[in-house]
Amino acid sequence: MVLSAETIVIRNADVYPVTGAAMMGVTVILQDGKIAEIGAKLLPPKGARIIEGKGLRVYPGMIDSGTELGLSEVSSTRETVDTGEIGEFMPQLRALSAVNPESEHFGVVRVNGITSVMTYPASGGGGGRGGGGSQHISGQAALIHTDGWTWEDMAVDRSAAMHLIFPSLGGRGGRGGGMAPDAILDMIPGAAGAAGFTAAKRTYDAQVAKIVAFFDEARQYQKERAANAPGFKRDLKLEAMIPVLEGKVPLAVSASRASVIHDAIAFAEKQKVKIVILQPRDIAKVGAELKAKNIPVILGRVLALPDTEDSPYDEAFTQPAEAYKAGVKFAFGTFNNEFVRNLPYQAATAVGFGLPYDEALKAVTINAAQIWGHGNEIGSVEKGKVADLIVTTGDPLEITTQVKYLFIKGKEVPLVNKQTRLYEKYMSRQ
Amino acid sequence: MAFAQSHPAVAIHNAKIVTVSGSVINKGTVVVRNGLIDAVGENVAVPPDAMLVEGEGLTVYPGLIDSLSNWGQAGGASAAAAAGRGGRGTTAAAPAAAAAVTAAPARGPEDRPQTTSWLKIADEVSPTGRGVETARSAGFTSAVTFPTRGIFGGQGAVIDLISGEKGAEMIVASPTGQYIAIGRTGGGGGGGMGGGFPSSLMGYIAYVRQIYLDAEHYKLVKDAYAANPNGMTRPEYDRALEGVLESKRILLPANRLVEIDRMIHLAADLKQPYILYGGREAYRPEAAALLKKANIALLVSMRWPEKNRDADPDDVDSVRTLETRDKAASAPAMLQKAGVKFALYSDGLEASRDLKAAVKKAIDAGLSREDALRALTLSPAEIFGVADRMGSIEKGKIGNLVVTRGDIFENSTKVEMVFVDGRKYVPAPETPAGGRGAATDDPGRNQAEVNQAGVKQ
Amino acid sequence: MKLSIRQYVFAACFAAAPLCAQTYVIKNATVMTVSKGTFKGSILVKDGKIAEVGEKVMEPAGAKVIDASNQYVIPGIIDCHSHIAGDGGINEGSISVSSMVDIKDIINPEDIAIYRALAGGVTTANILHGSANAIGGRTLPLKMRWGKDAQGMIFEGATPGIKFALGENPKRAGNPTGRAINGQAQQGRYPATRMGVEDVIREAFNNAKIYKAEWDAYAAKKTGIPPRKDLQMEALKEVLEGKRFVHAHSYRADEILMLLRIADDYGFKIRTLQHVLEGYKVAKEIAAHGAGASTFSDWWSYKMEAFDAIPYNAAIMQKKGVVVSLNSDDAELMRHLNSEAGKAIKYGGVSETEALAMVTLNPAKQLGIDNRVGSIEVGKDADLVIYDKFPLSDYAKVQKVLIDGTVYFDRDNEVSGRPGKAAEKQKMIDKEKQNQPRTQGGRGGRGGQ
Repeated sequence: MVLSAETIVIRNADVYPVTGAAMMGVTVILQDGKIAEIGAKLLPPKGARIIEGKGLRVYPGMIDSGTELGLSEVSSTRETVDTGEIGEFMPQLRALSAVNPESEHFGVVRVNGITSVMTYPASGGGGGRGGGGSQHISGQAALIHTDGWTWEDMAVDRSAAMHLIFPSLGGRGGRGGGMAPDAILDMIPGAAGAAGFTAAKRTYDAQVAKIVAFFDEARQYQKERAANAPGFKRDLKLEAMIPVLEGKVPLAVSASRASVIHDAIAFAEKQKVKIVILQPRDIAKVGAELKAKNIPVILGRVLALPDTEDSPYDEAFTQPAEAYKAGVKFAFGTFNNEFVRNLPYQAATAVGFGLPYDEALKAVTINAAQIWGHGNEIGSVEKGKVADLIVTTGDPLEITTQVKYLFIKGKEVPLVNKQTRLYEKYMSRQ
Repeated sequence: MAFAQSHPAVAIHNAKIVTVSGSVINKGTVVVRNGLIDAVGENVAVPPDAMLVEGEGLTVYPGLIDSLSNWGQAGGASAAAAAGRGGRGTTAAAPAAAAAVTAAPARGPEDRPQTTSWLKIADEVSPTGRGVETARSAGFTSAVTFPTRGIFGGQGAVIDLISGEKGAEMIVASPTGQYIAIGRTGGGGGGGMGGGFPSSLMGYIAYVRQIYLDAEHYKLVKDAYAANPNGMTRPEYDRALEGVLESKRILLPANRLVEIDRMIHLAADLKQPYILYGGREAYRPEAAALLKKANIALLVSMRWPEKNRDADPDDVDSVRTLETRDKAASAPAMLQKAGVKFALYSDGLEASRDLKAAVKKAIDAGLSREDALRALTLSPAEIFGVADRMGSIEKGKIGNLVVTRGDIFENSTKVEMVFVDGRKYVPAPETPAGGRGAATDDPGRNQAEVNQAGVKQ
Repeated sequence: MKLSIRQYVFAACFAAAPLCAQTYVIKNATVMTVSKGTFKGSILVKDGKIAEVGEKVMEPAGAKVIDASNQYVIPGIIDCHSHIAGDGGINEGSISVSSMVDIKDIINPEDIAIYRALAGGVTTANILHGSANAIGGRTLPLKMRWGKDAQGMIFEGATPGIKFALGENPKRAGNPTGRAINGQAQQGRYPATRMGVEDVIREAFNNAKIYKAEWDAYAAKKTGIPPRKDLQMEALKEVLEGKRFVHAHSYRADEILMLLRIADDYGFKIRTLQHVLEGYKVAKEIAAHGAGASTFSDWWSYKMEAFDAIPYNAAIMQKKGVVVSLNSDDAELMRHLNSEAGKAIKYGGVSETEALAMVTLNPAKQLGIDNRVGSIEVGKDADLVIYDKFPLSDYAKVQKVLIDGTVYFDRDNEVSGRPGKAAEKQKMIDKEKQNQPRTQGGRGGRGGQ
């Protein structure tokens, strides 16, 4: 890891570590890219840059667990989009190496305090139906910093998860956007109401069987590889599956409705792989099972419409509170580049509708870090951790709060971007 | 082909006679002569030349009338009805059906999209047409049949369901009104890009509005020209507007409550006499109140919504859907209670069993048998202005009768014979499979779908 | 008579309110009037109107008291750009000028989105035609009077509008590659470029002027046969006469300026520029024309023409003299316009009142209904929203919504009514199951024919 050489001292600030109690009026020292010290009455090291933190707060940088940042610039213009490759099983694809560090999106999300994101190879940032709806494994998702000279430089984890898009079943399967009231459901081709459930289930079962067959093939490959029998040939696709089979890389599984999540869990148990569920909807129905199996989830957009006409208007707003009540570990994802900067506000809405504040804050910081296997490095303000910090004027989940300083790996990243530049330019137009 | 017996006179003797217009005659006689009802009553003498039908244990009803139908029309697509450009700017010579295929997308109301308003179904019906024999076996002697393709489908006719040589013999009255469909169809779906005008519900409605504005203007210009052509440029002939001007009433689709409300407002602007059809949510008290206030007749589809038999077990239908399925068949009872004029229509049902079951469902939901019968006899006759010649058993009316053993709407009841224009038909035995049409399984379907699925072309 | 479940639902919604508006006193609230400051006090609501506002107000006998201690009251939110409450599609995209179609004809008062919007504090929404064509259909504002019929939703007396659209959407149908919006190969529809969009609008107004001249001539002499009434032209004639507001979907600065100049040339006004994401680049010109700007708070990058969108847009335009509102264009976002307004504080530093005005008084001005709604003032419609917390935040939840002095949404009733509704529904499901005749099986429903 390339670390920042500069030593920075933030003094007299209120520090909210997330993993522990707030510390008022303390000093934080950032050195060699790490949080070197936190405490009252610390002496600044010689030559350190001093930032006066009086009246300001220090939080860990926030983490969005569902994006396609760096891979997609203008979502409707294909030439600028590198998600959603062709092919049903594409575990060898790596999101990381297609990340464009100069994407304008990074600067935009940094202004709101987001220092790391999971970026997925599937279109729609892990929620979509990549490759025209027939893709099952879209590739490896990367955990990246939102700043760096190169993608190598940005990488926190080049392969933080293997993305599996579980087949969907029923009209509201896939993304669970809740945009189809009953009245129009049966006009949607392929929705259960129109085509008949029997046929839909048959297709679903066939797709699940295909996934199972692929995993079986990968396991067979694993065996042959271990045996290193004569004639063994290296296969990039299957090779890429080995860390998953070994339990080193979790499967990030897109699955929204209860029955599908249940099937995904059963699948993972059988395959003995670790999974994280992306964008589950029916938390009330599957919460107990998720908790029992200790499976974390990445909640999709909280600001979403209810699934059905009769669903409570605040159905999506209360999902995080439901997950919390069920004891399910969760983090948030925005699943659309346009909304990444609004990650904290999604958490705030969840608080408005019953999620304890501290849990909301964890869900955009430490929980995400832990779920993706990097809880020891990022996600909280603790001595020894990577210095991914934000200094704010107040509660970072509150809209009117401003991020004053942002540090990634101990380096201050200026809070300017394409948008602030255009702002300056056109404000000064006479 | 059913065999029709023709006699100068027929007398049904000692039967129970349900006249509909008057009280029930528990034991009486109906005499039909030269196709017309000659006498009916308790003490009517059997004419010596009449073919005698011993009516002991039988009930005689007026022949049933399907108030919105495609019976009598060619089996598949209505031959000449076609979507696409008609009217101005097109050569009228090309067969309409072919024109539909090749027509460029309409660029606006002036291209008269999906309009065949001039078409008269009276010119198209045939005794070998769809439904004639099966429906007659179920006790239907007449239908108000409409061309239903496109937006302005054309002009309907009241027909008798006879077997015979010529379609012309079937016609009781023509034209009886213009069938209008309003809804989203094809043409790029919701987005409505590039499929031609109109592509949205509001486009359909705007088109209907413009047609009536044009018709009004067309008439002014035509009349002025007729009065004094000298020095005036002659108005261009527009068959679409001619068809509209010829129509004495219009039929507008309205299933949901909001559609009933919407169509009542639209019709007020159009200033046309109108009838609504559909009525899936007419069970709602607000709907009946609206119809009553507007004093408008409703034709109620008997294809009651049903649950999709292959539904996703995890998907729970909305309250709206559940309620509609539960209550749709109570619409006739609600309308009756509210004093709204209504009639029932087949909407694609043809088999005797299905038609009977559909009526039975309305009866089970609170409609009296008398009112059910009226909704299939005298009420449709009144709605379409032919109650002076059909709809009840009265002297001088057309000799359309159904003779049953038992109550006509009971499943176990057998239709013994049917008289159409005084000609006797013995029902064909029912086919075991029963030609049940597609079930309407979700009341939430949009109007266009109902039109397409409900009234087969 | 036993209530049907739907009536039951309505009854539950309105449990707190009789059919006619009753007298309310909302007490001890933080009242954000928008036009006359923010203070701790009370509001008297009578006959559907705001009768008194102040630290203390009269409490007439029989008035129902709503204790809003620690709560906030704001004017009902107005969404200047919405597509809810319509049946059968909101785009008549088959042609480039669809000014004959009218949203008024397709109002669906039973669209659940209305209730959801209400639960997000929206009391009025400007229901617009889509943006598939250069000149779209006729539009109108509705009040979110959930439970009323279509006519009952209409904002009485409000000037109707018409939708225009510039840029990528109207030209997409004419994409020379022949690929239309839904991916199906389609015959290209003119126009395919921004140049063509300008031409379509100019030609339409050229025709409208001729049409208007014919009618004006007829009106002057009143003899002979009147000209043919053309619904397409009629709407544009109304625009020329100032009787119909133009709401123009636009993104880039060039096309915004282009439209302003067309309007100048043909002698009409653009009432609002919708989206107007690059409005900040031509704020001066927009202000000079007198057009309002109704924009998103922070949407960007979803298409090329949204790539220069900046969240400071609202603030810049506001500072340069444009009346600015924030809209949703989306049934979901519509439910959070309060926090969208909060973003105007964050990005560009407008005041709380200015930010709140962007979703209340400013859209009211843009729609010409500010004499009725948009602020908490004596004599205005009692369209009020009560929040549990400072409303320009995502922490805030709507507690009650009044329209015309009637409570249309009450969160306590909504939440407490849920078990009852669920039980009623279960009964219906059970009933259907019981009545369902066991079918022979094997037939795949509708598909089987």
